[in-house]
Amino acid sequence: MRARLVVSVLLLLPVALLAAPVALADGGGLAPVTPESPNAGGIRDSYLFVSIFVVGIFLLVEGLLIAFIVKYRRQKRDRFEDGAPIHGSSKLELAWTAFPVVILFLVGAFVFWKLPVITDTPTAEAGDRLEIRVTGQQFYWQFEYPNGVIAIDHMRAPAGVPVLLKVTAPDDDVIHSWWIPALGGKIDAIPGKVNETWFEAENVGTYKGQCAELCGLEHAAMTAEVEVMPQAEFATWLDTRRADQTAGSVVLGQEMWEGVCAKCHGLEGQGGIGRKIAGSATLKSPQALETLVRNGIRTMPAVGADWTSEQIDALVSYLEENAP
Amino acid sequence: MAARAETVPAWQRGKVTSWLVTTDHKRIGILYIWTSLVFLLISGLMAILFRIQLSQANSDFLSPQRYNELITFHGTSMVFLVGVPILAGFANYLVPLMIGAPDMAFPRLNALSYWMFFLGGAVLLLSFFAKGGAAQAGWTAYPPLSTQAPGHGQDLWILSLHILTVSSIAGAINFIVTIHNLRTSGMTWTRMPLFVWSIAIFGWLLVAILPVLSAGLTMLLLDRGVKIGPWSIETHFFDAAQGGAPVLYQHAFWFFGHPEVYVIVLPAFGIISEILPVFSRKPVFGYKAIAASTVAIGFFSMLVWAHHMFTVGLPLSLQAYFMIASMVIAVPTGMKVFNWLATLWRGNLSFDTPMLYALGFLSLFVIGGLTGIYLAAFPIDWQLHDSYFVVAHFHYTLFGGVVFAIFAGLFYWWPKMFGRRLDERLGKVQFWLLFIGFNLAFFPQHLLGLGGMPRRIYTYSNESWEGYNMVSTAGSWIMGVAVLLFLVNVIRTWQSGARVGNDPWQADTLEWYTTSPPPPHNFDDVPYVTSARPLYDLRRKLREQRGDREPA
Repeated sequence: MRARLVVSVLLLLPVALLAAPVALADGGGLAPVTPESPNAGGIRDSYLFVSIFVVGIFLLVEGLLIAFIVKYRRQKRDRFEDGAPIHGSSKLELAWTAFPVVILFLVGAFVFWKLPVITDTPTAEAGDRLEIRVTGQQFYWQFEYPNGVIAIDHMRAPAGVPVLLKVTAPDDDVIHSWWIPALGGKIDAIPGKVNETWFEAENVGTYKGQCAELCGLEHAAMTAEVEVMPQAEFATWLDTRRADQTAGSVVLGQEMWEGVCAKCHGLEGQGGIGRKIAGSATLKSPQALETLVRNGIRTMPAVGADWTSEQIDALVSYLEENAP
Repeated sequence: MAARAETVPAWQRGKVTSWLVTTDHKRIGILYIWTSLVFLLISGLMAILFRIQLSQANSDFLSPQRYNELITFHGTSMVFLVGVPILAGFANYLVPLMIGAPDMAFPRLNALSYWMFFLGGAVLLLSFFAKGGAAQAGWTAYPPLSTQAPGHGQDLWILSLHILTVSSIAGAINFIVTIHNLRTSGMTWTRMPLFVWSIAIFGWLLVAILPVLSAGLTMLLLDRGVKIGPWSIETHFFDAAQGGAPVLYQHAFWFFGHPEVYVIVLPAFGIISEILPVFSRKPVFGYKAIAASTVAIGFFSMLVWAHHMFTVGLPLSLQAYFMIASMVIAVPTGMKVFNWLATLWRGNLSFDTPMLYALGFLSLFVIGGLTGIYLAAFPIDWQLHDSYFVVAHFHYTLFGGVVFAIFAGLFYWWPKMFGRRLDERLGKVQFWLLFIGFNLAFFPQHLLGLGGMPRRIYTYSNESWEGYNMVSTAGSWIMGVAVLLFLVNVIRTWQSGARVGNDPWQADTLEWYTTSPPPPHNFDDVPYVTSARPLYDLRRKLREQRGDREPA
């Protein structure tokens, strides 16, 4: 009677576990998120392939466990009556040593077969591919396009074009990790090291992600998104942005305010992790502002140590109009 | 022994002082276990706090600094102040009894190990009062985050780990020497209890890996800058601006850190290998295979460290090597699981609380082992690394695995340690609460990780993650209730637990040959050991003698 109860609880538990949260939310799943780039697809395929064995072994082991619990429970036998005097079996033990070896071999073979899809940037269109430098900093992502255009936290990329990302962090910063789940795996942004990853998104859309390596107080706020646009639209955006930036772009300034300053000081400068800066004279003084962002002060990191003069200008001109 | 007791000065015979100056391995073992249980409560409570923070999107229950301090303490403490020392406590108590020895090889060194552990734990706990708060860089303390951290929390974290490292090395050497030299007559290596096997490997592994951690920690400390009187040192091992390499620390840390996981898991395996046969009334299936797989896991665990570093941009050939090496470990681990299953086969199973926990261990550890296959395959790891999937994975191995084994061990050996059995009914209720709470808390975290939630974020704005997080938080509360029930059980047993004699489970190993609790010198006599189950042999002999005398 008790054994039957135990078994039914054991069987119902996984079902309840899956059903309850699935009914509540769609924020996760049994496999990585729907891939939007071939490398993410390769990873997901590998995951699903491994799952065949994982689920199989899971059912086998838990099934045997439950079956043995039911079948060999004491029932009316004496508590200390001996079970079967079996000390082992070389044949069986050899079998369950060989069986995982075979499975692991299959898993390894599949992963290596899929590896080129995941790691190799498509080379056929090498001429068309776009290279973006991604710099992780406390607590924002900076993107630099080949023509010098700079963007913060919000990357724009053309659809159907391989995008090569050179991912790094400034020498005096900490380690971050670049991760947009729909566009592939993560790669760390490490001071003094340039790592590479890539994606090629077919579908127009915005794909979200965030820093995946603990990088300090506002690690959680270090979000990123990639907006994939039609190629012509992207080209127009890039040109407009180039011209804006030369002219002292307020657009870039606003991205910097929101992505860099506001993460700690609040969108209205009301304060948060960092102190309240609304009404601060520094915001209106280009000189003082530049000194501050280039060097940091007390717990504030040197967020703008590597900024170009165009970036400083952009922030200054945004704050001229919009300083809280 | 009586003569020696008379030479003990009066002040050392007090109720408290006798514990402070003790060199008895049993008392030291109990001290280890109690202290670790206190840290388990503290770090578990912290987990409940940050689970409350994570139960809803954009929550401000905890500040980011507080959150980072709590996760750092939780991780560090669960590994260094709970996992390793509670198992060292079991080992202290049990190894001399299981091998028929009167004490550890170096009783005073043993006491030193315990008090260093106590000191290390106190330093870590008190670091919350340091200038700038406790360490906030996670239990892995990656530089440059950890080297740049202001205040003294990180310095105290390093100090604490240095102290704990010394404690562990001294303890490990003591276990190695004890096991190699103090086994009773007849107890060859192949007649040694499997728990003792696991502690031998535990010792050897610690001696091999801890110096590497110490080196990494020292480099971290020097990079942060040390000032003693007129001298000051500041190095740049991990400072890219000065030509250093931040990733170097990760190699040192994980060369230690991965085997450290096995340092904790192997003794848990050992506990399970002792309990399953007793409650199945059978010898363990494939003794030699289980002992050999313990050695194999220990050895291979030192060759797989960079599978924690698949996203730092290692050359693909290295990642391929670390993937294959990590998968190799799955083979001896799988072997153990099947050997344990086969131990149940055709047995006479009783489901007392120790057995429930052992079976719970088996069902949960398998899940943690299987999700490890995904993480070993490096391209898949690029997607799962540092996400909640990883958090779920290691909690299935370290909580579903190790903590369930620890509870199995506590319920199993409690009558030996204190002469009274923990209440079975409370124990069973606690088991089911813990089992259900654990799965609710950690299973949804796999799904969150797959959905893109990174670990170590103090909050999130993605509201679609709320459902799973809420379930996980609710699970953590159920686990909290289960642990409280255990405390109730301990207190009730203390007051009025059933006295159950020297060998209530009719077990097979030598610790059950002596009284419960055992006298200071452990044994008046030890039977000559002729197999891995000396007490089983003894019982059979007694039955035969009785049978001879009884008329047919």
